[in-house]
Amino acid sequence: MIATPLRVAGGVLTVAGTYLPWATFVLNDGAYPAKATLEFFTEPFGVTGYRAHLLALGVAVVVFALVTVPGQGRILRALGVGVVAVSAVNGLWITVAGGGLGAVTVSDADVAFGAPVALAGGVLVLVAGGRGPQEAVPAWRRRLPPWWERLILLGVFVLLLLVVSAVLTSGGQGGAANVYAGAVFLSFLAAAGAGIGALHASGLASWVAAVSERHRGFSVGVLLACALALPFTGAGTEYWMTVAANIGVYAAAAIGLNIVVGLAGLLDLGYIAFLGIGAFVAANLSGAAAARVGVELPFPLVMLVSAVVAGFFGAIVGSPTLRVRGDYLAIVTLAFGEIFVRSAQNDIGGLTGGSNAIPGIPPLSLFGHGFDERLALGTVEVAAGAAYYVLVVLVVAAAMLVFANLKDSRLGRAWIAIREDEDAARAMGIRTGQVKILAFLVGAMLAGLAGAFYAHKTATASYESFRFIESVTLLAAVILGGMGTIPGAVLGASILFVLPEKLREFSDYRLLLFGIALILIMRFRPQGLVPDVHRRAELVSDPEQPTVALPAVPVKAGR
Amino acid sequence: MSRTRGVAATGVVLVGAMLLAACGTNRSEGDAGGSSCDTSKGTLVIGMIAPMSGGLSAIGLGMRNSADLAVDEANEKCTVPGYQLAFQPEDDQSLPQIAAQAATKLASDPAVAAVVGTYNSSTAQAAAPILAQRSIVQISPGNTGPALTRGEQAATDPKRPFPTYFRVAANDLVQGPFGARYLVQEAGKKRIAVIDDGKTYGVGLVENFVTEAERLGARIVAREKVGEKDTDFSSTIAAIRSSRPDAVYYGGEYPAAGPLSKQLAEAGLDIPLMGGDGIADPQYIELGGRPGDFATNIGAPVESLPSARAFVDAYAAAGYPEPSSAYGPMTYDATNVIIQALAGVVEDGELDDAARAGLIDAVQRTDYSGASGKVAFDEFGDTTNKVLTVSTVEEDGFVPLDTGVFEPAS
Amino acid sequence: MSTLLSQIVNGLVLGSLIGLIALGYTMVYGIIQLINFAHGEVFMVGAYGGLAISTYLLPAVLQQQWWLALPLLLAGGAVISGAAAVAMERFAYRPLRNAPRLAPLITALGVSVALQEAVRVFYPGAFSPLPFPRVFLEGAYVVPIGDGVPVRYSGLLIIVVSVVLSVALQRFVDHSRQGRAMRAIAQDRDIARLMGIDPDRVIVTTFALGGVLAGVAGVLYGTDLGFVNIDIGFQTGIFAFTAAVLGGIGNIRGAVVGGMVIGLVKTLGGQYLPGGTAYDYVWIFVVLIAVLVYRPQGFFGEPERVRA
Repeated sequence: MIATPLRVAGGVLTVAGTYLPWATFVLNDGAYPAKATLEFFTEPFGVTGYRAHLLALGVAVVVFALVTVPGQGRILRALGVGVVAVSAVNGLWITVAGGGLGAVTVSDADVAFGAPVALAGGVLVLVAGGRGPQEAVPAWRRRLPPWWERLILLGVFVLLLLVVSAVLTSGGQGGAANVYAGAVFLSFLAAAGAGIGALHASGLASWVAAVSERHRGFSVGVLLACALALPFTGAGTEYWMTVAANIGVYAAAAIGLNIVVGLAGLLDLGYIAFLGIGAFVAANLSGAAAARVGVELPFPLVMLVSAVVAGFFGAIVGSPTLRVRGDYLAIVTLAFGEIFVRSAQNDIGGLTGGSNAIPGIPPLSLFGHGFDERLALGTVEVAAGAAYYVLVVLVVAAAMLVFANLKDSRLGRAWIAIREDEDAARAMGIRTGQVKILAFLVGAMLAGLAGAFYAHKTATASYESFRFIESVTLLAAVILGGMGTIPGAVLGASILFVLPEKLREFSDYRLLLFGIALILIMRFRPQGLVPDVHRRAELVSDPEQPTVALPAVPVKAGR
Repeated sequence: MSRTRGVAATGVVLVGAMLLAACGTNRSEGDAGGSSCDTSKGTLVIGMIAPMSGGLSAIGLGMRNSADLAVDEANEKCTVPGYQLAFQPEDDQSLPQIAAQAATKLASDPAVAAVVGTYNSSTAQAAAPILAQRSIVQISPGNTGPALTRGEQAATDPKRPFPTYFRVAANDLVQGPFGARYLVQEAGKKRIAVIDDGKTYGVGLVENFVTEAERLGARIVAREKVGEKDTDFSSTIAAIRSSRPDAVYYGGEYPAAGPLSKQLAEAGLDIPLMGGDGIADPQYIELGGRPGDFATNIGAPVESLPSARAFVDAYAAAGYPEPSSAYGPMTYDATNVIIQALAGVVEDGELDDAARAGLIDAVQRTDYSGASGKVAFDEFGDTTNKVLTVSTVEEDGFVPLDTGVFEPAS
Repeated sequence: MSTLLSQIVNGLVLGSLIGLIALGYTMVYGIIQLINFAHGEVFMVGAYGGLAISTYLLPAVLQQQWWLALPLLLAGGAVISGAAAVAMERFAYRPLRNAPRLAPLITALGVSVALQEAVRVFYPGAFSPLPFPRVFLEGAYVVPIGDGVPVRYSGLLIIVVSVVLSVALQRFVDHSRQGRAMRAIAQDRDIARLMGIDPDRVIVTTFALGGVLAGVAGVLYGTDLGFVNIDIGFQTGIFAFTAAVLGGIGNIRGAVVGGMVIGLVKTLGGQYLPGGTAYDYVWIFVVLIAVLVYRPQGFFGEPERVRA
C-alpha cells in the first residue's frame, strides 16, 4: 500500500510547514499573527495560533496514518481538509495583504515557504486517501457505568463551552488594532472544524450523542449550565454578551419559525413581523416617553402580553391556510409581512412611531440593578449586558422546551402528518385547519416573546428591523441549521450572526455571499447541518429509489 | 469525465493567474507608520458606525471615505501629538440591533476615543445610550430626528438625553422652516403640495416646513407620501394635480426627488420642486431635477467657502472608488472636530478618564470652520450653524440664491 | 374627472409594464410550478444591461436618434436578461428539478438576493441610482378633458409594446412547435418525455422567453422614468407575481389583464382609499391575499388541479 507512506509524508510536510516562516516580510498593515516571519526552528515549542493548530493537525495525521483505528480513512480526510483550509486561509490572507505571491514565497532574498509546504502536505494527505468510497462511520455501542457516562458528558459539554468561547474570542474584536481578526477567526474555525470532523469520523461523536440521549435530563441540565456559564469565560465581555443576546433573540424566533416551517411544513415569508409586533407591544408598555400607550407594566407581564398579541396576529395570518396551500401560502405570508412593514412605517394608530421609531425604551432592571450595567458578584466581575444574556438563554431554553414537548405531542404529530401529506392527515381524522392555525399561533407567540426582549435590549423599536430580508435571514437560519430540529435553529442563527460580525472586512459582500450561500445550501446540503431524521427523507431524494431517467427520443415531425 | 476536465481547466486558469501575479509584493521597508510623527503614546481609534452594506451603502461608503480622509490627513500633519490615529469603520446594516453591537464593540475598546455616525436616526437611538454610558463622544453627520438632542418633547420641553451626543447635521426644526420662508416670502408661492418619503428625514422636514409655511399664510393644498422603493410617481402627481399647486415641497433625498421633478414636468405640472440638503446633490440634476427647482443647504455656498473646495479636491486626489455622497463634507467636519478636540486634550497627557471628560467639553466648545461651514454646538449638542443657503438649479448645477441666518419665530 | 382619467392612464401604463414581467412568472409557474422569485431581478438586470450598452457600446451618434437607439437597447436588454434567466435555470434550478418544492423556492430567494447584490457590487456606480438615457420622445400629450389628462409618450410605448408582445407570445404558445411542447410539458412532464419532447430544452426556452420579455420591460422602464436603481426588481417582481396569480397562473392573457388591474389598484387606491398613497402598496397585497384565498385560480384560470 502506497497510501500510508504518502500520508505520513503529508503529515511530516505539514509539520515542516509549521516551522517554516510564513511571510517574507512584516506586512504593511502590521505584523501577521503567530510570528509569521519567524526564522526556521527558532522556537520549536513556542509556536502559537494557526501554527500550533497546524502542528497538532500534522502530528495527528502522522499518528492516525500509522495506527490503524476504525474510520481511519475518514479521520485522515477530515484532518487533511483541515490542513488545507488552515494553510490556504492564512496563505491567501498573507498573499493579498502582502500584495502578491512574493509574500509567501521569495522576496528580496527572504524566503517563506510555510504556506505552500503545509498546503502541499494537506493535499498529499487527501490524495493518498484516494477517491474511492469511504468505509462506513464506525458505530460504538459500548455502555459504561452510568456515572462514568455522566462524567464524560460533563467533560464534553465543558469542552464544548470552551470551544464556543474560543471561537467567539479568536482573533479578538478586530478593528484598527487587530487587522487580521478575520483571518485568525477563519483559520481557527477551519482547525476546530477539522477536529470535530475527525471526532465525527471516528464515530465517537455519535457515541456521545447516544450517551446523552440515555441521560437526557442530565444533558439538558449540564448544557443549560454551560450556556449560563459563558459570561465567566473569555467571551464574557460586554461586546460578546451583546452579540450573544442578539443571537438569542433570533434563535428563539427561529425556533418559533421552525414550528411553522420545520414541523408543520408551512412556509412563512413574513415571520419577522411577529418579532416586530412583540417589540412594538413591549415598547408601548415599557413607559418609553415616545410611546403612545403610556402604560408601564412589569416585564414578565409585558412578555406575556407581547406573546399573546403576536399569537393573535399569528392566528390571523394563519387563517388563509384553511384555503391556501403550498407556494401560494408563502406568498400570502409575504404579503402580510409587507403590509406590516408599510403600516409600521406609516405609524398606524400612532403605535409604532413611524419613521421616528420608538426610542428610549428603558433597560430592564432587577433588584435595582440595571441589566446594562456591570455587575460584581463577590470578587468576580461580570460584564455589562451579561444579565441580558442570561435572560435570553432562559427565553431560548423555554422556547426549546415548548418545541421539544410539542414535537412529541399529539399536536406535533398532527403537524408532521400534515407536512407529509395533508389529505392523508385529514383522512385520518386530524382537523387540519385548526391544527395549522395553531402552528402559526404558537410560532408567532415565541417570536412575540423574543420581540419583547429585543425591544428592551436594543432600546429602540423601528420598522427598519423587520423587513423582508430579515424574514429571509431567519428562514435561512432554520434551513442552514436543519429544519425540524432544536439545535439546528440555534446553530443556524448563531452562524448567520457570528460570521458577519467576525468578518466585517467583507461587509461590502455580506448580502452577495448570503445569497450565494442560500443557493449552495439548497444544492448541496438541503437537510441542513443538523438534519432531522424524519425530515431527511423529504429534502434529499432517496438513493434507494432510482429515478427513471429516460433519454429524450427525438420524434420526426408528423407534418 | 466532463467534470474532471472542468477541474483541470479551473486549475490551469488558477495557475495562469498565479503566474501573472508572479512574485510581486507591496513591501515597503522602514515607514510602517507612513510618517515621521511622534507616536510614542500609542494608537487612538476613531470609530464609525454607518450603513456600509445594503440599500444605503452609497451614503455609508461616502461617509467612511470622508472620515478616512480626515484621519489620514491628521496622521500626515501629526495633528494629535504623541498618537497615531486609526480609523475603524463598522457596518450597521441600517439595523438598530447591529448598530448597538457595533457601538458596544467600539465602546469596549479602550483605544477608541470617539465615534462618527450614525446615518439613520433609529440606529443612533440604539447606539447613543451605549456610547454615553462609556463617555465616548459621538458626532453624527446625518441624524435629523429632534429627539436625539432634545428628548421626546423636543419642541415644548427640550431635555438633552445624551451628554456625549453631538451632530453637525441641522435638525429638521431649522431647515424646513428656512425653506418655507424662502418659498412663501421670496418666491411668492401660496398653494403648496408637500410630499415625503416616509423616512425620518423626509417626514420631519415636511412637518416643520408645513408649520412655518402655514404660519406665513400659505395653503398646503395636498399632502402625499411616496414609498421608499417607488419610482413611478405618476399616480402621486395625478393626486396633487387637481388641487392646482404652484410649488411642491419634497421631504426626501435626491434618488427619488430627481425623477419626481422630471415626472412633474412631464405630467404638465411645470411648477418648481423644493427640498432640503438631501436633494442638493449634482446627481439630483442628472436624475431629472429641472432648472428652477430649489434646495436648502446647511452652511454658506461652496463657492464662497474655500474649505469646501479643499475637501472636494482632497477627496478626488485620494482616489476613493465611491463618491463622497451628500454627507461627505459633514462627515469630514465631524471627524475633524473630534481630531481637533483630541489634539487639545492629549497635548500633555494620555487619554484617561479625565481626558475623556475633557474631550466632551472640548467638543462642546468647538469653534471650527470646515467643509460644510462653521461648526459649533449649542447646549443640546445641535449645530449652531444656522447659516443656510437656498440654491436653485440652473443649466450647469446648483446656484446659490440667498444665504441667511435662521432665527426661529418666537 | 380628469384626476380619475389620469389615474386610469397611469394605472394602465404601470399595469402594462407589470404585465410584461408577469408573463415570465406565469410561463415558468405553468410549466414547472416554481415561483421564480428572482424573475423581478431579471427585469432589473435587463434595465442595467440596456444601460451598459448605451454607456459603453453605443456610439454617441446613435444615441441621438431614438429610432436607432431604442431597438438596439431593447435587443441588448432582452439578450442580457434572457442569458441571465437561462444561466439561473441551468445552475440554480435544474439541479433541484426533482427536489421537494420548498428547495427551489428558497433557492429563488437566494438567487434574488445574489443578483441584486452582484449588480450593486460589480456594476460601476450602481450603489446609487443611475440616470438612464431617454431613447424615446420625451414629454406627454395632454388630452384636453377638464384640467387635462397627460399621457406620456413613453407610457404609450409601454402599453403598445406590452400588448404586441403578449399577443405574439400567445400565438407562439398556441401555434408553434415549441409552444405545443411547452403546453405538453405543463400538462404532464413524463408523458411529454415519452412523446419525445426534451423537457430540459423546453424549460430553458421558457426561462429564456420570460427573461427576454423582462429585459424588454427593464429597458422600457428605464426609458420611461429616466433612471434605474438596483432595488426596482423586488417590488416590481412581487407586483408582477400578484398579477400573474390574479389573471390565473399559466394564462398569458390573464397575466396582462392582471397587470392592468394591479396598476389600477395602485393608482386608484392611492387616490381614493383612506391613507392615500402611503397605503397604495398595502391595497395590492390585500387584493393578492383576497384572490389567493377566494379565487386561487384567478380570473381566467381553471380550478387548480390537485397536486401533492
